[in-house]
Amino acid sequence: MSYQLYRNTTIGNTLQESLDELISYGQITPQLALKVLVQFDKSINSALSNKVKSRISFKASKLNTYRFCDNVWTLMLNDVEFREVHEFAKVDKIKIVACDGKSSYNDLEK
Amino acid sequence: MDMFSPYSNLSMGATPLHIPDEDLAKFESFSQQQQQNNVYLPKQMTYPPPPMMMSHMSQQPQTPVFVPMVPAVPEVHTPAIDASPMMAMTPMDSSILPQLQNIVSTVNLNCKLDLKKIALHARNAEYNPKRFAAVIMRIREPRTTALIFSSGKMVCTGAKSEDDSRLAARKYARIIQKLGFNAKFLDFKIQNMVGSCDVKFPIRLEGLVLTHCKFSSYEPELFPGLIYRMVKPRIVLLIFVSGKVVLTGAKVRKEIYDAFDNIFPILKSFKKS
Repeated sequence: MSYQLYRNTTIGNTLQESLDELISYGQITPQLALKVLVQFDKSINSALSNKVKSRISFKASKLNTYRFCDNVWTLMLNDVEFREVHEFAKVDKIKIVACDGKSSYNDLEK
Repeated sequence: MDMFSPYSNLSMGATPLHIPDEDLAKFESFSQQQQQNNVYLPKQMTYPPPPMMMSHMSQQPQTPVFVPMVPAVPEVHTPAIDASPMMAMTPMDSSILPQLQNIVSTVNLNCKLDLKKIALHARNAEYNPKRFAAVIMRIREPRTTALIFSSGKMVCTGAKSEDDSRLAARKYARIIQKLGFNAKFLDFKIQNMVGSCDVKFPIRLEGLVLTHCKFSSYEPELFPGLIYRMVKPRIVLLIFVSGKVVLTGAKVRKEIYDAFDNIFPILKSFKKS
């Protein structure tokens, strides 16, 4: 099983809405929809690790709190500056949920 | 909230060390000899070495120095100087007092703990049971780290004073309580104290290891410091060429101070010229 944390993104939500629609029209079964979602989890994880080349750097003034449990890091940062080549964004606080990319990639292999 | 009520044991830190004037006298005469000769002669070591050392050095005459110190003593005890704890504690060398760097304490919360629940609900917690069977938790004030075990035992590290270590342990216990566990605060004990200081002159470790071979080990290829295992007080000292000294193994602050008072004249006699 890959991490399901990308289901709650624009692309993930849109996919789920489309699947719901197809189920309601009786064009696919809920089992098939679930299968598609599981495949989505695998594909988005591999696509993000293999195909995305863009980089962004960010810097926080303070690590407010952190947590490591079940192999997931949760970081709460204060005063974070995001920098791309031309773009710049600043936020007061941000929550980062970071999973082990390697283990999800290994799951993909299995 | 009475957990945070003030407590007053373990406050021995402020107790000034008593160093007999006689020793001071011996020391001063020793430094005078040093200045005159400017060469280290082991037989002239006048500062009384720790009791265990006496046995194997007993053939060396303890130079019977008694320099009349009466006029000098009142100077040392002028009110202005007494007001400063630094001065009062080390009359031999006005400014050096080992600083506490780390204190490790343990306490029993006396209830079984669900570590995963703690890791999920407390802030600044790490729990990776594959690597270590305890929750690692940190607080900022006093800046410390705690290891919390499912048995209810807890280790608190990183505090710089006895009171801070106890206060931090109480704060961790309070956090555990707030998560719904019936945590107590039993058998708090300071397990280790580490101090360090700088004598501000370079030391000939090769000379020191030769004359104090029963207590010292100096293997520069393995570790650049000399490891000195003092017997009374039972303290381990790491002595570096630079003059920096680390003292560890103490259960109470006084042992660190006593150990440094014992080692300082020895170090002075091995000062690099």
